[in-house]
Amino acid sequence: MTDDAIEVRNLTKKFGGFTAVDKVSFTVKRGEIFGFLGANGAGKSTTIRMLTGLLEPTGGAATVGGFDLKTQTDLLKKNIGYMSQRFSLYEDMTVEENVAFFGGVYGLPKQRVQERMKWVLAMAGLEGREKSLTKTLSGGWKQRLALGTAVLHEPTIVFLDEPTSGVDPVSRRKFWELINQLSEQGITVLVTTHYLDEAEYCNNIILINAGRLIAGGSPKELKTQHITYPILDVDADDVVAALETLRTQSWVVEISLFGTYLHVGVRDERQGTQLIRSTLASRGIAVKRVERIVPSLEDVFLHLLEQDTKRRGA
Amino acid sequence: MKTIYHIVVKEFIQFRRDRRMMMLSFVAPVLQLIILGYAATTDVKDIPMAVYNQDKSATSREYIRGFATSGYFIIEHEVQSLAEIDPLIEHGRVWMALVIPPDFSDNLLARRPASVQIIADGSDANSAGISLSYASQITAKYSRDIVAETFERTPQAMRPAMVNAETRVWYNPDLKSRNFMVPGVLAMVLMIITMTLTSLGVVKEKEIGTLEQLLVTPIKPYQLIIGKLLPFAIIGVVDVILVLVVTRWWFGVPLRGSVLLLFGMSGLFLLTTLGLGLFISTVSKTQQQAMMTAQFLFFMPFIYLSGFTFPIENMPQGIQYLTFGIPLRYYIVIIRGLFLEGVGVAELWLQGAALIAFGGAILTMAVMRFKKRMG
Amino acid sequence: MNIKRIRPVVIKEFRQIRRDKRSLGVLLVFPALLVLLIGYALNFDVKHISLAVFNQDMSPTSREFVRSFSNSEYFDFTYTVERYEEISALLDQEKALVAAVIPPDFSSDLLAGRNATVQVLIDGSNSNTATTAIGYINAVVQTYSGNVATTALARYGKEPYVPVSLQPRVWYNPELLSAKFLVPGLIGFILMLSAVVSTSLSVVREKERGTMDQMMVSRLQTAEIILGKTISYLFIALVASVLVLLIGYVFFDIAIRGSFFWLYVAILIFLIAALGQGLLISTVAQTQQVAFIISVFTTLLPSLILSGFIFPIRSMPWALQLLSNLSPPKFFLIALRDIILKGVGPSAFWDQLVYLSIFAAVTLGISSVRLLRKAE
Repeated sequence: MTDDAIEVRNLTKKFGGFTAVDKVSFTVKRGEIFGFLGANGAGKSTTIRMLTGLLEPTGGAATVGGFDLKTQTDLLKKNIGYMSQRFSLYEDMTVEENVAFFGGVYGLPKQRVQERMKWVLAMAGLEGREKSLTKTLSGGWKQRLALGTAVLHEPTIVFLDEPTSGVDPVSRRKFWELINQLSEQGITVLVTTHYLDEAEYCNNIILINAGRLIAGGSPKELKTQHITYPILDVDADDVVAALETLRTQSWVVEISLFGTYLHVGVRDERQGTQLIRSTLASRGIAVKRVERIVPSLEDVFLHLLEQDTKRRGA
Repeated sequence: MKTIYHIVVKEFIQFRRDRRMMMLSFVAPVLQLIILGYAATTDVKDIPMAVYNQDKSATSREYIRGFATSGYFIIEHEVQSLAEIDPLIEHGRVWMALVIPPDFSDNLLARRPASVQIIADGSDANSAGISLSYASQITAKYSRDIVAETFERTPQAMRPAMVNAETRVWYNPDLKSRNFMVPGVLAMVLMIITMTLTSLGVVKEKEIGTLEQLLVTPIKPYQLIIGKLLPFAIIGVVDVILVLVVTRWWFGVPLRGSVLLLFGMSGLFLLTTLGLGLFISTVSKTQQQAMMTAQFLFFMPFIYLSGFTFPIENMPQGIQYLTFGIPLRYYIVIIRGLFLEGVGVAELWLQGAALIAFGGAILTMAVMRFKKRMG
Repeated sequence: MNIKRIRPVVIKEFRQIRRDKRSLGVLLVFPALLVLLIGYALNFDVKHISLAVFNQDMSPTSREFVRSFSNSEYFDFTYTVERYEEISALLDQEKALVAAVIPPDFSSDLLAGRNATVQVLIDGSNSNTATTAIGYINAVVQTYSGNVATTALARYGKEPYVPVSLQPRVWYNPELLSAKFLVPGLIGFILMLSAVVSTSLSVVREKERGTMDQMMVSRLQTAEIILGKTISYLFIALVASVLVLLIGYVFFDIAIRGSFFWLYVAILIFLIAALGQGLLISTVAQTQQVAFIISVFTTLLPSLILSGFIFPIRSMPWALQLLSNLSPPKFFLIALRDIILKGVGPSAFWDQLVYLSIFAAVTLGISSVRLLRKAE
C-alpha cells in the first residue's frame, strides 16, 4: 500500500477525432482534498467519469484506491462514491427510500443501512424530513443528501463533480464544511469546480485546459511560483475606460477586471503605482486607491490560461 | 439476488407514487379493449342505398323488397331521375344506387332476361366489395325463385337436377367478426402498454441522470436489467389477466383451448415485448426518441403487418417474409387459435418456438448493447 | 400576442428538432416509407383460398365438379383426403380454410335427375374472409348447377334462362383496389399520430425539465410559446403530408381528382385539430411518460379502428358511433376520400371541415384556459 489514493498516468479519452482528455497524469494522496479546476468543457467531467468506471479510457492507466481501473472495476466501484453535477437521486421517492435503496444496492446489511441512514440525516440536517419526497427539498438540502448518499457505503475515495453548481453561497459554505469533515475522517475527496474561492479549501489542485494539464500544486505554491511580478489592485471611477487605457501601456504585464476593480501586473510596485495614477489622471479618470495585493488563485489561473493559449497558438 | 430485489422494490415505489401512470397501466388497456372490441367489426350492415325504380310494378317492388328485408341495406332515397343519383353518391349520402329499367316487369313476364344496374361508391373499396356481393346474392336468389316457379309447372322428370352446397362454419358459426377481432385487439393493447413502459424505463433514468448514479455502484448489468424488467413483467401479467377476463366474460368470446397454454404463450409474448422495449431504451438518448422509435418503427408496422385485419397471405412475398420478424403475428395466431379453435400444443408449438427465439434474440441484443454502454 | 416574440420560439424549436436527427427522420421520412410499405402490403382481396377435398364418389362427374373450383382463381386445391377425420386436422392447423365433402352417390344422383348435396366446411374464425369465401363457393356451385341444368334442358329442347342479371358499375375506384382507399386513410392515421405525439411531448418535456417556468414570464407569453411550438410541428407535418401524397401518386397511381386548395385546407384544419388534442393531453400530463401513453392510447388504435378507416362506422353499436365523433381522423377521412378519390367540391364535405374546426376550437380553448390558469 502506498500513500497515494489515486494514481493517473497518461490518461487519454478521444471521442471520434476530438481529444477530450490528453495524456493527463497526477497523483492524489490519501485523505486529501484534491481540486480539479478548469473551464466548462476542459475535460474535468470526462476524467472523473473515466476514474469512476463510467467511461472507458482510450489510453493510459490509473489506479483508484489501489485498484486497477481496467482489471478491477468491480472492487473499485465498491470503494468509491460519486456525486454528479446533476441531482441524481430519485425525485419521486422519499429521503428514506432513496437512502435505503442505495444502501441496498451497495450490499449493506439492513441494520447497517439504518445506522448510516441516521448518520446521513444528521449530516444533511434532514431529521424529521425522512418521509418528504426529494423533489420538495430545496437545492442545498438536495445537495447534502446526495453527498450523504454518495458516502453511504463508507468509500475510501469520493468523487464530486461540480457539486456546488447552482447552490446559494450559504449552502456552499455548509457543503464545504462537510467535505472537510469527510477529509478529517480519512476519506480522499476529489472535487471539480469552477469556483476559484472553493479551490482555496483544497490541499492540492490541478488545472486543466482543453484536455491538458497545465499546472498543479497546493494553492500556496501556485500563487507564489507562477506570478513573479507585483499585482496592484486599482479602484478607479470608470473601470472600463481605465482598462482600455492601461491595456495598451508597455509597462503593464497583465491586466484584468475583477468585479469593479482592476488587477494590474507591473514590473515594479512603486513605479507602477505612480504610472497608473499619472496615466489615468491624464485621461481624466479619478483613481481612489492603488495597493499591492497577494495574487489570488484567479489571478494565477488567468495568467496560466493566457500563457497556455499563447503557447498553443505559437 | 438481493440487489435485484432492491431495484424491483424501488421500481414499485416509483410506480405506486405516480398515480396517473398506475391508472393508465391498468385502466387504459381494459378501456381500450372494451371500446375497440365493439368498434372492430368488419360486418357490413345498414348500407344506405338509393333506388331509381322506372318500372313501378308489383314485380319490381318485390325485387326491391329483397334488398330492404335482407338486413344489409337501408333504402334511404327513392329518386325520380338518374341525375339525382350523382349528388347522393358524391356527398356520401348513399353508398349504392339501384337502377331498375322501365321494361323490367315486361321482360320478366315475357321470359326475357331483364338487366338491372347497380352503382357503387368505390372510394371505400372494402365496403363496396361486400355490398356488391350482397346485392348479387339477393339478385341471384330472386332469379332462382323465378326459375323454380317456372319449373313447378313442368313435370318432375323434366326438372333439371341441382347441386346444393350445404355450408357449415366451424369455430365461429355465426361468423361474428367480434370473436375474431377482440383477440386481435387484446394482443395489440398488450403489446403497446408493455413495450411503452419498458422502453421508457431505462431511458428515463438516463435522461434524469440517475442511471449514472446506478452505474458507479457495483450493480452488474444483468442485475440492473432483470431488476428493471421484472416489475414490467409483473404489470404485464396483471394486464394479461385483465384483458383475458374482459375478452372471455365481457365479450363472451368462447375460450376453447387450455387456459394454462394461454397464459404460457402470453408469457412468451411478454418476453418479446419487454425485450423490444429494453432494446429501444438502450438505443435512445431521450424519452422522446424512445417514444418516437417505439411508435413509428415498431407499433405502426407491427399493427398493419401482423395479420390483425389484413390477411398475411394476401401480402406480396417479400413482405410476407418480413412479417416473420413480427412477434405480434405469432401471438395473434396463437390467441385466435386458442380462443376460437381450441387448438393445442401440437398446432402452436411452432409459434411458441418463434416467440422464444425472437424474445431470446432481442433480449440478448439489448443486454449486449447495454453492457457496451456501461463498459 | 406579439409576432416578434413568437419567432425566436419557432427558431429554437426548429434548432432542437434539427439537432435530433432521428426524431426528424422519424417525423418526416418515416410516414412516407410507411405508406409505401403498407400500401403494397395491404389488401382485403381474398384469393388463393386453400381447399381440401374429400371425394367419396371418384367419378368423372365429381372430378369435373372439383375442377370447377380449382379453375377459379379464388381457390387453391391443396389437399385430397381419404378420411373425414383428416379434414378437422387440416382446418385446425389452418392448412386449409375450406373443405368440400362429396357424397358417394353424387354422380348417380345427378344422372338420375336427383339433387345432390355437397357439404362444405369453412374455418369461420376470420369472419371477413369466411363470408367472402362462402360467396365464391356459392358462385362456383351455381355455375356448375347452371351447366348441369343447361345440359338437362337441352335434352328437352329448352333454352336456359337467367331472369335478372346485375350490372355493377363502380365509381371512383372501378377495380376496387385496396390501396386506393387505404392510402388516404393512412395519411390521416400517420398525420394524427405524429402531430398529437410530437406536440404533447414537446410541451410536457419543457414542463418536466422546468424550462417552461423559465420561459413563462407572463400569461401572454405562454400563448406565444405554445403557438411557436405548434407552428413548428404544423410545418413538419405539412411537409410530411406532401411526401406521403407524392408516394401515393408515384407508386399507387393515386391522382388527386379534387382541388389542391381544398386538400390543403382540409389537411391544415385537421392538423390544427390534432395539435389541439396534443396540447390538451400536455395540460393533463405531468411527465412525458404519461403524455405518451395517453397520446398512443387515444390515437394509435382509435385512428385505425374507430375512424371508419377500416371498420365501417355504420356497423358499430350506436354508443360507439357517437364516440367516434371524438376522433378527428373520422371527419378528415371522409373529406380526404371526397377530395382525392371522388374529386368533388366543398359542398360535399364542408360539414366535415366544420366538425373538425369545432373539435380544434374546443381542444385549443380548453388547453389555453388550463395553461393560462397554471401560468398565473
